[in-house]
Amino acid sequence: MSSKSLGLVFFPAFDWAITPSHPERQERLLYTRDQIVEEGLLDLPNIKEYRPQLATIQDIERVHIGVPDIVSLITDAHLISAGGAITAAEAVMRRQVDCAFALVRPPGHHAMRVVHGTRGFCTINIEAVMVEYLRRHYGLTRVAVVDTDVHHGDGTQDIFYHDPDTLFISFHQDGRTLYPGTGAMNELGSPSAFGSTVNIPLPPGTTDDGLHYVLDHLVLPMLDDFKPDIIINSAGQDNHYSDPLANMAVTAQGYARLAKKLNADIAVLEGGYSIEDALPYVNTGIILAMAGLDFSRVVEPDIARCPQQSADNTRYIAKLVADWRQLWRERDIIRREAVAKAGDFWQRRRHIYYDDSGIQEQQQETVRICPHCHGYQTVSTQSEGYPSGLKSAFAAVVPRNSCKSCRNQAQAAVHNEKKIGRHDHYFLQDKEQDLLTRI
Amino acid sequence: MLLGIDVGGTFTDAVVIADGRIAASVKTPTTHGQLLSGIVTGIDKVLASLDSRHIERVALSTTIVTNALLQGKTDKVALLLIPGPGLNLSGLTPEPPVLLSGYTDHRGREQAAPVQEQVAAACRDLTGCEVAAVAGKFAVRNPVQEQLVAGWVRQYLQPAYITLGTQVSGSLNYLRRVNSAYYNSAVWRIFARFGAAIEQAMTERAITAPVYILKADGGTLPLNAAKDLPIEAVFTGPAASVLGIMALVNEQTAAVSLDIGGTTTDIALWQKGMPILAPGGALVNGYPTAVRSFWLRSVGVGGDSYVRRENGRLAVGPMRRGPAMANGGTEPAVTDALRVAGLTDYGSLELARQAMQRVADCGQSPEDAAWQTLRLATATVCQAIEEIVSEQAIRPVYKVEDIVHSEKYRPELVIGVGGAAMGLAPLVAEKLQLPWQVPPGHMVANAVGAASARPTTEVTLRADTAQGFYTVPELGIKQQLDKRRFTLGDAWQAAETHLADRAIVDGTSETTFHSERLYEEEFNIVRGFNTVGKIMTCRLQVKPGVLSPVSVGEAGR
Repeated sequence: MSSKSLGLVFFPAFDWAITPSHPERQERLLYTRDQIVEEGLLDLPNIKEYRPQLATIQDIERVHIGVPDIVSLITDAHLISAGGAITAAEAVMRRQVDCAFALVRPPGHHAMRVVHGTRGFCTINIEAVMVEYLRRHYGLTRVAVVDTDVHHGDGTQDIFYHDPDTLFISFHQDGRTLYPGTGAMNELGSPSAFGSTVNIPLPPGTTDDGLHYVLDHLVLPMLDDFKPDIIINSAGQDNHYSDPLANMAVTAQGYARLAKKLNADIAVLEGGYSIEDALPYVNTGIILAMAGLDFSRVVEPDIARCPQQSADNTRYIAKLVADWRQLWRERDIIRREAVAKAGDFWQRRRHIYYDDSGIQEQQQETVRICPHCHGYQTVSTQSEGYPSGLKSAFAAVVPRNSCKSCRNQAQAAVHNEKKIGRHDHYFLQDKEQDLLTRI
Repeated sequence: MLLGIDVGGTFTDAVVIADGRIAASVKTPTTHGQLLSGIVTGIDKVLASLDSRHIERVALSTTIVTNALLQGKTDKVALLLIPGPGLNLSGLTPEPPVLLSGYTDHRGREQAAPVQEQVAAACRDLTGCEVAAVAGKFAVRNPVQEQLVAGWVRQYLQPAYITLGTQVSGSLNYLRRVNSAYYNSAVWRIFARFGAAIEQAMTERAITAPVYILKADGGTLPLNAAKDLPIEAVFTGPAASVLGIMALVNEQTAAVSLDIGGTTTDIALWQKGMPILAPGGALVNGYPTAVRSFWLRSVGVGGDSYVRRENGRLAVGPMRRGPAMANGGTEPAVTDALRVAGLTDYGSLELARQAMQRVADCGQSPEDAAWQTLRLATATVCQAIEEIVSEQAIRPVYKVEDIVHSEKYRPELVIGVGGAAMGLAPLVAEKLQLPWQVPPGHMVANAVGAASARPTTEVTLRADTAQGFYTVPELGIKQQLDKRRFTLGDAWQAAETHLADRAIVDGTSETTFHSERLYEEEFNIVRGFNTVGKIMTCRLQVKPGVLSPVSVGEAGR
């Protein structure tokens, strides 16, 4: 096996927890640290450990609009985990290493563009912050994010839902059986970005076999078609058979083989809460696989517990993959139809629940379908919770490479709303100028 | 009186320290191949005018282990491992190991039992190996399997010596423990023979004082204890110098020290008066080990570094072409430049000028050539300093607080020792815009260090109150604890007791020892929504350092 150089940003945040008994607590990566250090992985010549940098507020606000502001919603730990993802990415971009793994916490893939609090253990989306950092500082355009967490990466999906340059692929336990409930096959991106959001909801009890069937017949061919500049893996580890919060049956070998096939440039840890029985082995497997080393000996001591995949599930997954392959082939035609049907503006209303913060949010998004650029977006949001109370905001978002007309309209939209005065806060997020401005 | 001996690559230095002063010192050539005779000559010369009965303590820094490893004069080791699942170790150990079944997991729980018949069969295949090493993954969390297998190996193979992984280190890092245990057994016999010869030499000279061996981390081990852990005596030369600096300089500020010898400059970093240790441990023959050692960077610039023009460009080192011309050599060297620049007054100025004339560019005076040489040598050293300092600044940490509140490491002082220190260290300091010190006695800093090094030892106590036991791997202890009542305070107290026990067993408690808390960790174990126990780790050491500061007359500022 030919070895590759791997950059590892390990940040277990041993002094940070959401609450003392929360799954996101100090203890989460303790046993993973023990395994990695005991294996001597950090002494291998082709693995280089990096210390995470602190992300800046500007890095965060390149992606997020915090209500009332992002600073009051986050802790230093969030700046470090986002900074850790950036450190990993920069090690790759500067060609210091072939690929990198940000084994950091707290996670981020449930954090959406507008942030009122913490949901699904996430406050800021560390992959999205990293992706936009790379676009700003390294001129990347086409990015693929493959989310292999058991939960639907609804935050990442939300942030890139209108961006045809970001292919977001998430396979996860079917939302009808697990938090956050979204991630159905028909969530495909807004009309201009149709088909750049790919959801593959898998039945509970899916094993290595099912996962690799999806990978071989769907995910890898899609990546070949999309031809990204960079592949990012949101490397959640809760598809493991021992995870206490989900119901899948993937093993450390399954994850390690996935890491090898996916051959991601950068992997970022997401969830995974079987802290003793899964994480030490899955992380060791992923690290070895990314470093091009033999991972065949990484086997959980209790592997006999792992169930087999049912024949029903195998059939279900085969049909799901066949349906998706057809949809993928026809995506350009369907996109043109959707754009034509939407006219000048596309709208959606959503209800978003912040389980950790106890906040209910109502959101209305409007996307300008522009023939000259990716179009601008506006978001109207209201939230209610205890002790945060009632909060509302209106924001306009000017994407990269937007045309002059869209830029002017976006600015006008937010100033108009300010005059009307129905919201508490007004923001203009200008990705061209790299600024989030409070109006 | 303290007697210190440092066996170096070229010279063997011996000093006697009495009442915090150097009472006598000698330099004799190192006798390669017959190490002992040079040591004995050094001892006899330094004690010539002193009464050997007043020697309270002998400490020896020797290259015996380093040389044995370099020259491959080591024994074939039966290496038996209980690796469990994880990294494939092939190619990562000095010899191919025998892999045994059995597994202890990260919390010290037995997940699979070792099989006696498999060990018996392995031992039959290993017949002829006179020494052995046994190491189990996570044995530091529960040493029972490792001990069980070692017992079987003793029974079936009957080796002269067997090293256990937990014996060489109580820290996580299986690969390093495996390599340490392997090399410990590999050099066991050659060191045992050396130790016996030293003991005999002392007896013949009526020196009854205890003999200590310097370790790579600047501590000492009584000779008897060193016979069980000979690998700790690797790389003691640089450690002796660093300790010498500690004895000669009493500074608490962050500093960079330069041991400027004939061909190399050894750079070490200091924090709060203590040298910084290498992360993980020392590299032995290219293999990472658990041997604690100072974090050193060697750069190929020293007093004898060869100076020449290569295609018109001035070059310094890393090779040596004999001594400098000022000292009777045939090729120009850094020492010649120092002499011509007026920074030293050692050797012939006339010959030094000839040397600099030889490397001078067209129309360049010997003085200008000398200064150009020194700027180049200084720049090379400064670059290496910048590298090691920036590596120190980015060492990974695992807590939010350590990232947010970490102060960037920046040395505030340059300390120079060794032959060319008086000349070169101030130039390095000037370029770094830092103050400097070259302590008096710096020429024999290494032997001073050996003489005054304090004995050290450490223990790691890890308690798991959910499972109800704690382990002290270095002592092979696994002990029950009170699940409900055991606190971090109790853990520290138990660690203190075990450290004292270990110090007595090792014979390291010759003076009142100061224990120092190296590391502490405490985690709640939460299952469901309940805290079911705590995991605590306490690492405690007898602090390395010097018995007492040593002062000598005036030298640098």
